Amino acid sequence: MRFDLTLALVDRPGQLLKALEPIAKNGGNIISIIHEREKTAGVYVPVSLVADFPTYENYRKARDDLESLGVNVIKSEEVIERANITAILIGKLDFKRIVETKMRGLRIVDFEVSAPTSREACIRLNMEVPVELVDEAVMELKKIAREENAILVSSI
Amino acid sequence: MRLLVIGFGFIGENLIKTIHQKVELIKQIDGDFKVIGVSDSKGYLFDADGLDLERLSSIKGTSDYSERFLKGGSSLEMIEKSGADIMVEATPTNIRDGEPGLTHIRTALTLGIDVVTANKGPLVVAFRNLRNLAEAKGCEFRYEGTVAGAMPVFSLVNECLQGDRISKISGILNGTTNFILSKMYFEGTSFEIALKEAQERGITERDPAYDVDGVDAACKVLILANAVMDRDAKFEDVERVGIRGITSEAVSLAKRSNYAIKLIGTVDKNLEVAPKLVPVNHPLCVHGTLNALHFETDLAKELTLVGYGAGKETVSAVLNDIISILKKKTRSMQ
Repeated sequence: MRFDLTLALVDRPGQLLKALEPIAKNGGNIISIIHEREKTAGVYVPVSLVADFPTYENYRKARDDLESLGVNVIKSEEVIERANITAILIGKLDFKRIVETKMRGLRIVDFEVSAPTSREACIRLNMEVPVELVDEAVMELKKIAREENAILVSSI
Repeated sequence: MRLLVIGFGFIGENLIKTIHQKVELIKQIDGDFKVIGVSDSKGYLFDADGLDLERLSSIKGTSDYSERFLKGGSSLEMIEKSGADIMVEATPTNIRDGEPGLTHIRTALTLGIDVVTANKGPLVVAFRNLRNLAEAKGCEFRYEGTVAGAMPVFSLVNECLQGDRISKISGILNGTTNFILSKMYFEGTSFEIALKEAQERGITERDPAYDVDGVDAACKVLILANAVMDRDAKFEDVERVGIRGITSEAVSLAKRSNYAIKLIGTVDKNLEVAPKLVPVNHPLCVHGTLNALHFETDLAKELTLVGYGAGKETVSAVLNDIISILKKKTRSMQ
């Protein structure tokens, strides 16, 4: 699991090393680290880092350890890798149902409709979905196509 | 080696012409090579000393070669009495029960005759059974022409990807649907008009449903799954959607987003034939009657083959199978 963290470190030698220890100790693998010296606020300098943790529990423990060392964690969020899916549905479609569909983790980025009133209407959907949910999203689109008696043309 | 050709239709006839043209090349591998029997639905021609290839190349049906013609003689009877070494099975495809090709192939293998086929039917119905029979009898069983015509699909997998694990095969496996969808893409025509043009050009099956409803592509998906991925799948296991419902609006909607709609066969954890959006810069995005097949593997990563999947070009695959057997058998005799 990948996390994006921003720490507020006192601008003093050795502070960064001190902050990295709880991350390493809890199995964190640092992917990138940026010392944002131009954003210094008083004695604090923000440090942004991206790290992979084996489990959510490891991440939570690292965060707790940082805070007990007096390191302020000003931002922390999971980085979710997203994939783009493009699909076209053809048939007599209920566009409202399709656009308002609630699929886990799915976000419709944009859509385009052609011949909306005909029996052969089509809609092209551009969607974003977490990488691990791509198969689930395609299954859900297939289900919608079946229920709407439409043809699904998804991307390879 | 003594060769039989069962089925004297499009493939059988063109194979004989090609063998005649390439006979010098073939004789360099096997100086004793001869075609000893040819059959069609009317009867068969048989000569243990070898039929005249020049004459065979000029006839339209077996009955035109009158002095060697046995009217009403069955292919099965000829296979059984022939003493042949190799049999090419090129009768029409029947995916319901694989016949008559299935019985021809079973009989030949049981008699220890090596088999080459371009007929999908027997492989759709009984691939594993035929492969096991060939192994038990120590026979060669080759079928390069059954999937994507001239493209060397099984040769690539068996010769060049021996250490790779193939995770996915996907591609355009039917030239007729690719022709129709390409027409719709480039000319904005409707499905009906594009189909009519394909029929006028004689590139559809007699029953166009076989092409446009994805039946032909599903047969190839099944053969790939069973022969390359070692599955034991049945035709019903292939999820199938054809291209009848693809409208010109959908094609142009896809085109505006830099996609082309293609009928794609996929073999991964699922078996599927369905219209898909293919990015225009993807190697599978080929047009006209071309076929294309994309392999994803652990070592080579991605490989794509492009070529003609039907027509005279299929003879290339059949002849290559024959030559491979001749080389193997002549080497083992030395």
